[in-house]
Amino acid sequence: MLYDVRLELHYDYDAPVQGGRHLVRVTPASIPGIQRVIAATLRYDPRPVVESQFVDFFGNHVTSIVFQDAHDTLDIRLSARVLVEDIHPPADLSPPLERLKDDIARTWSLTPDSPHHFLAPSPRIEISPAMTEYARQSVERTISVQAAVTDFCMSINRDFVYESGATDVETTPAEAFALKKGVCQDFAHVMIAGLRGVGIPAGYVSGFLRTNPPPGKPRLEGADAMHAWVRAWCGLDVGWIEFDPTNAMLAGPDHITIGHGRDYADISPIVGVLRTSGSHEAKQAVDVVRVE
Amino acid sequence: MPGVPDEMIDPDGNVRAGWAALMSAFDALGHDELAARFERADQYLRDAGVFYRKYDGAEGKERAWPLAHIPLLIDESEWATITQGLTQRAELLERVVADIYGANELVARGLLPPELIARNPEFMRPLVGIKPASGHYLHFCAFELGRGPDGTWWVLGDRTQAPSGAGFALENRVATTRALSDIYAGMNIHRLAGFFRDFRDALEAQGKRLDGRVGILTPGQHNETYFEHAYIARYLGIMLLEGEDLVVVDGQVMVRTVAGLQPVSVLWRRMDASFIDPLELRYDSRIGTPGMVEALRNGTVSMINAVGSGILETRALAAFMPRLANAVLGTDLLLPEIATWWCGQDAERQHVLDSFDAMMIGPAFSMSLPFDDTRGTALGSAIPEHQKEALKDRIAAHGADYVGQEPVRLSTAPVYVEGKLEPRPITLRVYAARTERGWTIMPGGFARVGSSHDTSAIAMQRGGQAADVWVVSSTPVERVSLLPREGEKLVRNPAGNLPSRAADNLIWLGRYAERCEATVRILRAYNARVAELSNPDIPLLKHTRDYLEAVDVDATEALPLGLLQAIDSAVLSASQIRDRFSPDGWLALNDLQKTAQRFGTRIHSGDDATRAMTVLLRKLAGFSGLVHENMYRFAGWRFLEIGRRLERSIQIARVTGWFTGKDAPDGALEMLLEIGDSVMSHRRRYSVSAGTQSAIDLLVLDPLNPRSAIFQLAELRVQLETLPGGIEDGQLSPAAKLALELHTDLVIAEPGDMTPAALDKLASDIGMLASLVASAYFT
Repeated sequence: MLYDVRLELHYDYDAPVQGGRHLVRVTPASIPGIQRVIAATLRYDPRPVVESQFVDFFGNHVTSIVFQDAHDTLDIRLSARVLVEDIHPPADLSPPLERLKDDIARTWSLTPDSPHHFLAPSPRIEISPAMTEYARQSVERTISVQAAVTDFCMSINRDFVYESGATDVETTPAEAFALKKGVCQDFAHVMIAGLRGVGIPAGYVSGFLRTNPPPGKPRLEGADAMHAWVRAWCGLDVGWIEFDPTNAMLAGPDHITIGHGRDYADISPIVGVLRTSGSHEAKQAVDVVRVE
Repeated sequence: MPGVPDEMIDPDGNVRAGWAALMSAFDALGHDELAARFERADQYLRDAGVFYRKYDGAEGKERAWPLAHIPLLIDESEWATITQGLTQRAELLERVVADIYGANELVARGLLPPELIARNPEFMRPLVGIKPASGHYLHFCAFELGRGPDGTWWVLGDRTQAPSGAGFALENRVATTRALSDIYAGMNIHRLAGFFRDFRDALEAQGKRLDGRVGILTPGQHNETYFEHAYIARYLGIMLLEGEDLVVVDGQVMVRTVAGLQPVSVLWRRMDASFIDPLELRYDSRIGTPGMVEALRNGTVSMINAVGSGILETRALAAFMPRLANAVLGTDLLLPEIATWWCGQDAERQHVLDSFDAMMIGPAFSMSLPFDDTRGTALGSAIPEHQKEALKDRIAAHGADYVGQEPVRLSTAPVYVEGKLEPRPITLRVYAARTERGWTIMPGGFARVGSSHDTSAIAMQRGGQAADVWVVSSTPVERVSLLPREGEKLVRNPAGNLPSRAADNLIWLGRYAERCEATVRILRAYNARVAELSNPDIPLLKHTRDYLEAVDVDATEALPLGLLQAIDSAVLSASQIRDRFSPDGWLALNDLQKTAQRFGTRIHSGDDATRAMTVLLRKLAGFSGLVHENMYRFAGWRFLEIGRRLERSIQIARVTGWFTGKDAPDGALEMLLEIGDSVMSHRRRYSVSAGTQSAIDLLVLDPLNPRSAIFQLAELRVQLETLPGGIEDGQLSPAAKLALELHTDLVIAEPGDMTPAALDKLASDIGMLASLVASAYFT
């Protein structure tokens, strides 16, 4: 599936900011077996005085930009062409949860997709007894890790209301869990916290959804903004599988990946240090169009 | 004590070699002389301002440094074993941390559990794959040692993040030798200075190679060991920097100095790694430098130690060190370490649960030394019965979070308690530094002495004292100091090394000190009249109150809050630049603050307050004298001086305008001359009673009166022209130009021109001059 992706991030500052330094993580990465990035460009207004790229620990493409002059708005525009592979849902070869521990213990590796990175609390994920208990119900209803994760994904979709404005970017998983409301970031964080609580390695995936559905299919929730979903490690034989709790489905040909992290903090679209005391307002627009 | 080795007495009951000399020297001195000498050491520490900050409540308090006066003596031959063991250990730690952030072979070979690293808060993912600019991760480490019951030294913990205490070791040495100079001179004790000289040379060689300056990176004055950072910076002559002093430009770390941005290529990091860059590490860090990790990625700056090295302090790692030594170095550890079992492994967990009562149980990922960890770590048998089962269940379910460690029994060394020697448990902290020729171990260090007889390591929790460590040689030792050696080229540091933040604080220190002085003078003159006139409603007193009220000082209070706040502000500015002026100056300022606070609750308006203000004035003069007479005329002194002159000229212009106006009441001119400390000068110069013209002439336009406005502006001209960029290609800087202009205006002015309005304008013009200085040097 070939897509043209356009993203516009717009920031309005209350007062002009004097310079600034940001890390931008919005450029999709080529991931073997999942997608190939054919072209991607980033443009900025105003133009930064310094712009450099690097790849972070989790393999994400990061652009570092530095501003020197005062500015009161910032626009970041991404255009990319991405070929998404058509993945077929894997057969369930995952072990029961009791045996997942052994699979993890047999992974003597710290490479970026080693399950070891995705078990402990991380900057934005606290593990709480309540969310762990919630996930355990899915484990008890099923006989394999993959089935448990699938069941948990469906449960969240069923029990939570998608409502933009109910939460914000700083909302913690525990708060979203108490509200039973939120957007894709909250759905993903709650799912990750629950899975880690029961011992299933889980990480955060940031990306985009196809804007207009194929004929006869409903429009997906979250298609007009950046999207987030979850990947879970289902044992040595299966590896990582991506689940979208917001849309109660496996991530598939309509999901275009930007990158991975332990939670939102590892792959937030922009982190920055501004020399200002004021606040800012952010807007984003996303357009993902199928090319052929 | 039976079964416990003692540092002074050998197992057969004989006094060990070096100790015998020390003890007979003590006997020769006698009890009273010894006590007097120990008091001399304490006095030295107080005078030198050696403190440490302890956090036991909401606010950290500075405490006197608890020196145990008797040094710990260790024979040279035994020290050689420690040196060899620690050199080997430093090398092993370097290889392990290089592998963790590099090839990861230790994990792949099954020698290091990946979980121990992946779950570790000190595992800095952004640094994975980044080779340190110097080629090495570790440059300065500390080790905590204890002597076990079998008489051998054991490693209790490694400090690799930002080891503290080396400066305290130096101060212990100075204080102890102050008390025992003759004894010290008569014994062959290895000197410490050589260690510091070699390490400083290594830092400077690195700086030269990477083409930039060397700095010590401190979290700032609120850190518990800030005193030590400032002390080491002063001792080694290295810049003391905070995160906000630095900025990353094109991938290179630069320090903001009064001479513009200067490249920095070596940072001796005294803050925890996660705080150094809010962009890539801790997002909530307010003490970091955005872009620092980018500079590390670019290899333009060397961190001492590399960011991420703190992971080696993880307690559970101790369980793997013996195996790692064999795998990496192909040999056993020369110095053993306390046996440790990580409960993330099945057999080890079972062992800990089986011998629960005899184990120290604690958090696996803790970075603190087991005996410093009062909250998290306890001996199994000491845990209350009702908590035991719950803890065992948690260990069974979440084993990876726990370790069990063999409890350590320590040796004892004598301390001086109420005139008697008593054995107390000790641990030893030793430092290793990487030099051009490899690792070097400080021949000494400091010993921590427990406060009770209990020799279980846990007794160290209850505080105690610190003792100097003397490594005793049988032959004369080399005398070293940090002064250049014979034939060595003298290098003068360039004057442009002053960070902008330090300069800013120096200006404000000068201004606040001067502001305090001006306020105290007015309050003194006011209270003297209150005492005489006993009617607070007379116009002169009201006029003075109104003046003070405009600067937030309520003259009806005997010691106004506004004055206390100005003193606090001076102390606060000074506390951020402790490395820049002498300990005497700092102590004088503290004394001023304490005295003012003590007065605050006790004195009454009138006579009482007049006397109190005289005391404060004298203390202020003491501070100014100490600073101005003793401070080297570097740029730092100039900024202090500029602050003082700016404030004094503003104050004198304002107060002269206020007391010479048309509405000024009777007695205003006498009052003004008193405030301007110019009563005598006036009498001598004009031999008439004070008139408006003569008062203005003396306080504003007289170039010979050191308190006049024109005198301050003349001084400001000199200082501003001498600062970096003051005159470039014959052009004056904007600040120097304005100072020239204001000065010239006063040179040609007549007393009659200096109306209250003109004086007000002069004060605000000088305020403008202050802003010009700030924008030229501090942004």
